[in-house]
Amino acid sequence: MTLTQPHDAVRPRRSEEPVLELVGVRAAYGAIEVLKGVDLSVPAGTVCALLGPNGGGKTTTMRVASGLMPTTAGEVRYSGRNVTGITAGEAARLGVCSIPEGRGVFANLTVRENLWVATGTGTSLAEIEEAAYTRFPKLGERRHQLAGSMSGGEQQMLALSRALGTDPAVLLLDELSMGLAPMIVSSMYDIVGALAAEGISILVAEQFARVVLPIADTAALMLGGRIVQVGDPAEIEDELSTTYLGG
Amino acid sequence: MFLTFTVLGLVLGAVYAIAASGLVLTYNTSGIFNFAHGAQAMIGAFTFYQLQVVWGVPTLLAVAIVLGILGPLMGYLLHRFIMGGLRDTAEVTKIVVTVAILLGFVSLSHWVWSPQDARMVRMFFGADSYVSIGGVVIRYHEIICLVAAAGIAIGLRLLFTKSRMGVVMRGAVDDPDLLRLNGHDPERVAAIAWAMGSTLAVLAGILITPVGGGALEANALTLLVIDAFAAALFGRLRSIPRTFVGAVVLGMASTYLVAYAPSNWTWVTNLRDALPMILLFVVLLVLPQDRLRGAAVRTRERYEVPTVRRAAIWGVVLVVATVAFRQLIDDSSVGTLILGLTFAIIALSLTLLTGYAGELNLAPISFGAIATLVAFHTGITGQGLDARMSLTGLVLGVLAAAITGALVALPALRLRGLYLALATLAFGGIVSSMVLRETQPRSWFGHEFALFPQGTIIVWPLKVGPLDLGDQDVFLYTTATIFAVLGVGVIALRNSGYGRRLAAMKDSPAAAVMLGQRLVRLKLSVFMISTAIAGLGGILMSMALSSVTSDHFVYTLSLSLVMLTVVGGIGYVSGALFGGLIAGAGFSLIVGTFNELGSAHPEHASTFSIISHLILVAVALVGVGVAHNPSGNMSSIFAGHRFLAGAPEVRYAAIGVTVVLYGLAYAGVIGTWTFGILVAVLWMALPALGLWLRAERLLPPEALAARRGVPLELVGVDVPYPDGFGGQLDRTLGLPARARRATPTIPAQAQAPSEEGESHVRV
Repeated sequence: MTLTQPHDAVRPRRSEEPVLELVGVRAAYGAIEVLKGVDLSVPAGTVCALLGPNGGGKTTTMRVASGLMPTTAGEVRYSGRNVTGITAGEAARLGVCSIPEGRGVFANLTVRENLWVATGTGTSLAEIEEAAYTRFPKLGERRHQLAGSMSGGEQQMLALSRALGTDPAVLLLDELSMGLAPMIVSSMYDIVGALAAEGISILVAEQFARVVLPIADTAALMLGGRIVQVGDPAEIEDELSTTYLGG
Repeated sequence: MFLTFTVLGLVLGAVYAIAASGLVLTYNTSGIFNFAHGAQAMIGAFTFYQLQVVWGVPTLLAVAIVLGILGPLMGYLLHRFIMGGLRDTAEVTKIVVTVAILLGFVSLSHWVWSPQDARMVRMFFGADSYVSIGGVVIRYHEIICLVAAAGIAIGLRLLFTKSRMGVVMRGAVDDPDLLRLNGHDPERVAAIAWAMGSTLAVLAGILITPVGGGALEANALTLLVIDAFAAALFGRLRSIPRTFVGAVVLGMASTYLVAYAPSNWTWVTNLRDALPMILLFVVLLVLPQDRLRGAAVRTRERYEVPTVRRAAIWGVVLVVATVAFRQLIDDSSVGTLILGLTFAIIALSLTLLTGYAGELNLAPISFGAIATLVAFHTGITGQGLDARMSLTGLVLGVLAAAITGALVALPALRLRGLYLALATLAFGGIVSSMVLRETQPRSWFGHEFALFPQGTIIVWPLKVGPLDLGDQDVFLYTTATIFAVLGVGVIALRNSGYGRRLAAMKDSPAAAVMLGQRLVRLKLSVFMISTAIAGLGGILMSMALSSVTSDHFVYTLSLSLVMLTVVGGIGYVSGALFGGLIAGAGFSLIVGTFNELGSAHPEHASTFSIISHLILVAVALVGVGVAHNPSGNMSSIFAGHRFLAGAPEVRYAAIGVTVVLYGLAYAGVIGTWTFGILVAVLWMALPALGLWLRAERLLPPEALAARRGVPLELVGVDVPYPDGFGGQLDRTLGLPARARRATPTIPAQAQAPSEEGESHVRV
């Protein structure tokens, strides 16, 4: 069965369709079901924060959205088109930029080579280098250093450079703050805020809600493999501090 | 003179470098160390010979076919069908799969190109086309080797640093998922790397034989992988420039050795053959220690550990079954069965070492060879047919194997598993090319004797008090008992504190170190216990063979034993039994049976010969199976039988049927083969049979309901709507597929959007 959707049927709905949408998505690692029917949508040009404690399924949701993980049921839609079963490579070429948990860099490649790999989505090396080194002059100084030998903050800068240089439509950020000093975390989120201002739609999963709520347009709370609440960031923050995270 | 040898050494080094760079390429893009690299070179060289010499294809065209089609295609197919499925498997599984391909390729070449015929390969442009520079004669062929190596060195350097494809290749092994997120396809990258690596192997294969000056020889070419590995180790399997340095050192050392060694060193030729292995040990000694990775190693292999009580019961069952089975077979087959059991004892050493501790030994039979030699020189008492092996000889042999094991393992223990595996393989090579070739007497520590007199030794059976293994039946029962006792012992060891430390080391070396374990001591002790078991098995094997030649200890035998044990399930004692029986008895039985059939029915002789060859070549396909089921056959059989626990009567019935079949076979109503096949089929099919007969006792209620099936019109009434019901309904009613449904319960369709339809996403 192939999807035979006329292309002109997509275009008129441009403004109303969310750029990324998960509908009733279920996903499992072997016999263990981790996502139990996730409904989530990221409207175009907004920042959506995915919050919740450990083990709630945030990372799996990100993996499904980026095409790394297959679903067992439900649909993944990009701009209203059903793309369930898309591979991560295809998703990346469609403009979905995903920065995975931990450090999204190749430790054994130099900074410049990391940026070179990032050109797999169609940008030129010169453009991405320019974008990265302008924003992070430190990376420019270390362009021939192995990425694995840099500090955690610098590695995360390098990972974010991919989002800066490739001009994606959607940015998926998983635990940007992991293992970083608070000051670096807030400067990272300044950049995320600037990207959002440029009109990129962003889905950001974060365990520490405080850093992300100021830039979020909507927030979703995830618990036990389901989205339990979606709403205004301030609302969700109250909810978070009173019940789930204990402040 | 010096210059001539230098040039020769450089040329040899150039060919090693070509081979080694292919090895490094595939290792770094897919994380698989390709033991079949030399075998691929061999296939390439033989195909080239077939094209050029036998079929008279013009040389240039033949080169183009071999390098342009055969090489890339072989690499691509290997990756597509076998190597691609090996992600997230343990090191041993990856090694075994490439070993299976090696063995399959060797069998294939022996089948197509009979090893009895000598095949001389000419140099390119012949041996008479040369230039003379300063009195040094350099043939055109040698120039080609040097130019090709230089070109490849520069080309690979450019590829890896100056092209995006090369950079992506280097990233592929670190984090394939991240590569996907960057819009690349790691599988495609790996396939290209395999195609290139395979082409480099083929190139090395067609260049090397004329340089050495010999005839095409499948085994020698296959062992090119060891030379290539020794060279690659200079660059820690990563750096291409250092690999080239290593290759040149190796090439020079081997030519200078032959040129300048004193003429009274009669063992120099042997030493030269063993040189790559010796160099490999030296490099291992100076390599810096690996950093421990923090993360636990997650692999797909899973092994259950039985309790000692359970193991003891099964041990008794094995001995009883052996005694019962002995009554069915004629006297001439007893020897084969003994051989199979002795192999199983050798394989048991792998269960402990690899299955429990996660370390590797690719030459268990070579340790058996050392044990046999020591036992032979120290333990034979008596004269003529009354000569017997003494217990002292046996014990000394086993001790010698353990001590040799410690010596071999020491340099590699600080490093990762792969290095230990290669060190043992190199040791196997040294045993074969140096120790077992010591057929002439020479002075050892003031005593004049030959290590391996005349290349054949008679190992007499053991006699301890009243126990005399000279009697075949006694030998058989003793071997079965020894296997059972050792098997229970190994399981008891696994269930002890020591065994838990081994398991901890296997799962997370870093965590084990942080808990205060001393890894080197642990690895060394388990390696010694393991080689001691291999030594015992080796001595018993030699006794079973009685007359032993160096052919009985060749590396391929060790490799196929390791491979079959993994196929059986290397984490299980029963896996060792399976691997040993097949390696020691199964193959010879199959080939022997087909040969007999062939001579009994001469008109079908060629058909039988083809079938027996096909079985040997099909060994390569074992790799496919292992990739799908890395825990081994026994694991799936156990899983099936565990499922039967709910209905014990099924198993009682099967035992009854087995006894009846045994009675029939004993009475001669059915043949031994029929009995064996029927019993095997019965027990393998038992889980399926049980499910069919006793479904209501074995399955949970929901599964039973699902099996019965709910009529379509009652879905939603009797049971809730399942996911994907809409699609099922459409299919049942024959409606055309609908593109997109608003409800989330419709099954998701795999669909990659086309480029032009993605106007929303791509800004």
